[in-house]
Amino acid sequence: MRRAALALLMLAAGQAHAADTPVVPAFTEETKTSGIDSVYTGQWQYMVGGGAAAFDCNGDGFEDVLIAGGEMPAAFYVNRSARGGALTFAKQQSGLEFDAMTGAYPIDIDGDGIMDVVVLRVGENIVMKGKGDCQFTRANEDWGFAGGDGWSTAYAATWEKGNQWPTIAIGNYIDRAQELEPWGSCTPNVMQRPKPGAKGFDAPVALTPSYCPLSMLFTDWNNSGTADLRMANDREYYEGGQEQMWQVRPGQPPKLYTKEDGWAYLRIWGMGIAGYDLDGDGYQEYAITSMADNKLQTLKEPPKDGGAAKPTFKDVAWPKGVTAHRPFTGDDLKPSTAWHIDFQDVNNDGLADIFIAKGNVSEMPDFAMKDPNNLLVQARDGTFIEMADKAGVASTETARGGVLTDFNLDGLVDLLVVNRYAPTQLWRNVTPGAGNWIEVKLQQPGGNVNAIGAMVEVKTELGRQAREVVSGGGHVSGQSGWVHFGIGDAKQAEVRVRWPGEDWGKPMTVDANGFAVLDKAKAAAEAWTPNR
Amino acid sequence: MMMTRRSALKGVAAAALLGLSGRLALAEDNGGAILRQWYKVVLMLVRHTATYSPPVASRAFAYLGVAAYQAVASGSTSLVSLEGQLNGLKALPPRDPAKRYSDAVITHCVMASAVKTFFGNTGPTGQRVMAAAEKKLKGAALQGLPGDVVEASLAYGETLKAAIIDWSKDDGGAVIENMGFPMAYDVSKEPGHWVPTSAIRQQQVPLLPTWGQNRSFAMPSGASCGLPPPPTYSEDPSSEFYAQAKEVYDVTMRLMPEQVAIARFWSDDPMLSFTPPGHWIAIAHDLLAEKKAGLDETAEVMMRLGVAMADGFIGCWNAKYQYDYVRPVTVIKKLIDAKWEPLLITPPFPEYPSGHSTESGAAAAVLTSIYGDNVAFTDRSHVRDGLGERKFASFTAAADEAGMSRMYGGIHFRPAIEQGLEQGRCIAQFAIALRTRSAA
Repeated sequence: MRRAALALLMLAAGQAHAADTPVVPAFTEETKTSGIDSVYTGQWQYMVGGGAAAFDCNGDGFEDVLIAGGEMPAAFYVNRSARGGALTFAKQQSGLEFDAMTGAYPIDIDGDGIMDVVVLRVGENIVMKGKGDCQFTRANEDWGFAGGDGWSTAYAATWEKGNQWPTIAIGNYIDRAQELEPWGSCTPNVMQRPKPGAKGFDAPVALTPSYCPLSMLFTDWNNSGTADLRMANDREYYEGGQEQMWQVRPGQPPKLYTKEDGWAYLRIWGMGIAGYDLDGDGYQEYAITSMADNKLQTLKEPPKDGGAAKPTFKDVAWPKGVTAHRPFTGDDLKPSTAWHIDFQDVNNDGLADIFIAKGNVSEMPDFAMKDPNNLLVQARDGTFIEMADKAGVASTETARGGVLTDFNLDGLVDLLVVNRYAPTQLWRNVTPGAGNWIEVKLQQPGGNVNAIGAMVEVKTELGRQAREVVSGGGHVSGQSGWVHFGIGDAKQAEVRVRWPGEDWGKPMTVDANGFAVLDKAKAAAEAWTPNR
Repeated sequence: MMMTRRSALKGVAAAALLGLSGRLALAEDNGGAILRQWYKVVLMLVRHTATYSPPVASRAFAYLGVAAYQAVASGSTSLVSLEGQLNGLKALPPRDPAKRYSDAVITHCVMASAVKTFFGNTGPTGQRVMAAAEKKLKGAALQGLPGDVVEASLAYGETLKAAIIDWSKDDGGAVIENMGFPMAYDVSKEPGHWVPTSAIRQQQVPLLPTWGQNRSFAMPSGASCGLPPPPTYSEDPSSEFYAQAKEVYDVTMRLMPEQVAIARFWSDDPMLSFTPPGHWIAIAHDLLAEKKAGLDETAEVMMRLGVAMADGFIGCWNAKYQYDYVRPVTVIKKLIDAKWEPLLITPPFPEYPSGHSTESGAAAAVLTSIYGDNVAFTDRSHVRDGLGERKFASFTAAADEAGMSRMYGGIHFRPAIEQGLEQGRCIAQFAIALRTRSAA
C-alpha cells in the first residue's frame, strides 16, 4: 500500500527538475567569514597533495574538517554552523595538527563508533584513534600500523569479507632523496590487512610494481561483492608503468589485472578518482583526473545477464562533455591541471554533477596558470554542462584537494577547496529553485560500522541513482557522513542498500528533505533531525 | 679512429702550450664525460617537459649540439667553426687570445645555461634536476683548475650561449603554444586527408602544422628533400591505396611476438619516452661512452646528429603538411574492419612520410658516415622501461627496423616508411657535408 502511494506521489511530482536544461547552481563564498584560515604550503615535496577530511567527530551530525598544511601544521576546525545558516567553523586543538601532512581520510578503524583518521605525510604516516569530542591519539603502535617513511599521496580502505578490521592501502610517490634522477624512482605502495584473529594490522605487503599513484579507490566495479583496488598513477614519474587495478581477494595475495584479463593499457597523469553509476546500468563509471584531457570511463561491455564483467573500460569523457581539458573561461587557454574530483548532485535534480579542482603544479608555463575549477552539471540527456562560473566557484587559485558535502545540513551540497599557497576556500550552496533531497547514513553491527563498500540505491520517478560508500579516492581528501541524493520534485524516495559483501536489502521509504539513518538491523529508515 | 687520435693530440698540445698542470689535462679528458652527462640530463628533460614532442626535441638537440661543438671549436686549431655553414649562424663571439680557457668548463657552462633556456618550461622536478646537475657537473669540470681559467671559461660560456640562443629565436620553432596544437585549424573534409584519430580534445587538430616552414639548419629549406606523392585515395579494392591499407591490416592481424616487441621498442612516445630523436641521441651517447670518447668527438657526433635529425623533422613535416595524408586507422576502420585497433597510439598528425623513418634514416646516415657501415651495437635505451635491449648489425639495420616498427604498430603505410627513410638519408647529407675539420 505504501509502495503504491509512493508510486503515485512519484507520478504526481512536478516537472521542474525533469527539464532538459538543469537548474543553475549558486554558491556564495564564505571563506573570510567561515573561520577557516588554512593554507597548504611548501616547496617541491608539497607540489602534490593538499587534502582535507570531513567527518563528524562530536556526534552533532555536522561534519567537522581537518585540512593539510604541507610544511605548516594541519588545522582542525569544528563545525559551528546552524542548519541552513552561514558556514561557521572554529579552530580547535584535536591532536591532528601534524606538519608534513599531504592529506587525510576519516575511517572508523576499530569499529567503536568514533571516527578515526589516517594522516598521509611526507615522512611517517599516522593513524589517529578518535577518543570522542574531536580529540585524537596516535595509534600506530597499538594497532600495528606501519607508518613508513615515504612521500604518501594516496589511500584507500575496505573491509574484506569476514573481517572485523579494515584493509588499508597506501600509495607512495617518488623517492624524495633522488635529486638527479627522480624519474623512475616510484617507491612501493603498501597494503596492510588485519592481523588474523586479533585487532590491529598484520605486516604490510608491497603492491609492486608501484607507479606513483595520486589516488586510490577500493571499489566493487563488477558487482562481485568484493572491492578491487583501482589506482590513478602519475605517468610523469613511472617508467614502464600504466594505470592499475589490483584484484584483492580474501586470503589471497593481491594480483594485478592484466591485458589477458581485459585490462586496457592507459598512461595518464592520474591524479584523482571518483565513481558513480551515471547511466543506471548497475555498473559504476569512473572519472579520473589528469593534465589536459580528463577521463570518464565506463565498462566497454557491461554484462547484460549479470555475468562476469571484463575490466575493460572505454573513455566517454568527450561525448559526455567532461574532458575539461583547458580553462573554459578567461584568457589563459593552455591545458589544464586537474586534481580532486567528486560526483555530487549540487542542484538536487536527481542527477549527479561533477566538481574538479584545478591548479598548476608549480609555475609550469605550458599549462594554464589561471585554471578555474570546473562544476559540470549533468543534463537530462546524460551530458554535462560547465556552470562553475555561473555558480560562482570558478576560482583560479591553485587548487588541490577538496570536499563536497552538506556542511550546514540544509540539503544542499557545499564546497571546500584546498589551495596551494592560498587560503582554503569555502562556498555555501544557496541554489534557488533546487530540488528536494534526502541524506542517509548507514550503520551496521560488526567492525565495518559505517558500511564502507555498501551501495546505496535511490529510486524516484526521475529514475535510479546509485553510489558506493567508499573510503579513498579524490585527491588525498575524504569525507564520511551523510550520503546525499537530490530527488527533484519527488516527495519521497525508495532507498535500498547492498550491504558490503551481501545482496540488495529490502527497499525503505525516505521522506524528501530529511535525514535518515539506515540501520542494517532495522526494517525501516529512522528519521534524524539536527539539533540546531 | 682518426678523429680520436686527433682529439688526443690536440689535448696534449693544448696542455703543453698553456703550460698548465696535469689536472687541467685531466679536466679536459673528462670533458667528453661531462658533456655526455649533460645529454643524459637532457634526455630525461625531453621526456618530462610537456612541449617536447619529437620535432621540438630535435630542435633542442640541434642547438645544444651546435652550442657544445662551438664551445670546443672556438678554441681549437683542428675543429672548424660552423659560422657561415648553418643557416642564419653568422659570427659568434671569439675567445680572448690573452686569456686561458678550459674547453670542458666552457662546454659545461654552455650546456648548463642552454639547457636551462631550452627547458625553462619544465616542471618543478625538472628544475630541481637541472640545478642539481649543474652543481654536480660544475664541480667535476672545475676541479683543480686555476681561478683565471675558470673565470674566463665561465664568462665565455655564457657569452657563447647567449649568441646561440639569439640565433635560435627567429627560426620559427622557439615558441610552442598549447603543447604544439594550434588553437585554430581547418581539418580537411576530403577523403584521403588527415582527420583526428583519438577522442582527446586537444588532439582534434594536428601537431605543429607550420613546423615544416621553420628555418632549417644545414639543408637549404624544408622542401630540400621533397618526396613523390603517396598513393591516391581510392576505395577500390584493386587500387594501390587500398592495397597499402590491406597490407597494414594483414600484418597487424598476424603480429608475431618479435614484431610486437619491435613496435613497442621504437614507439618512443612523447612524454612517455625521450622521443624518436632522443632514442638516437641515447644510442650515440652509449656508443661514445663505451669508447670513452673525448670532448671533440662527443661534441662533433652530437652536433651532426642533432642537426641532421632537426632538419629531418623540418623536411618530414614539410612533406606531411604538403600531402596531409590519412592515417591507417581511419582507412582500415572505414574500408576493411570497423573494429580494428592499431597496437600503438596513432600520432595526432598526417601520415606521410613517417617521422620516425625520416629521422632514423638521417641519424643512421650520420653515424654511418662517422663510424662506418658495420658497427654492431646493442641498444639499451629502453631497459628501464622494461622493453629490454636489442642488437643491431649496423646503424642502417636499426633505422630500417625503426621504420618497419611503424607498420607493426599499425600507424604507417609502407610508402611512408620507405620514402621516409630515403628522405632522411637525403637530408643527412647536408649535415654530413658540414666542414668540421681543418685540412691537415
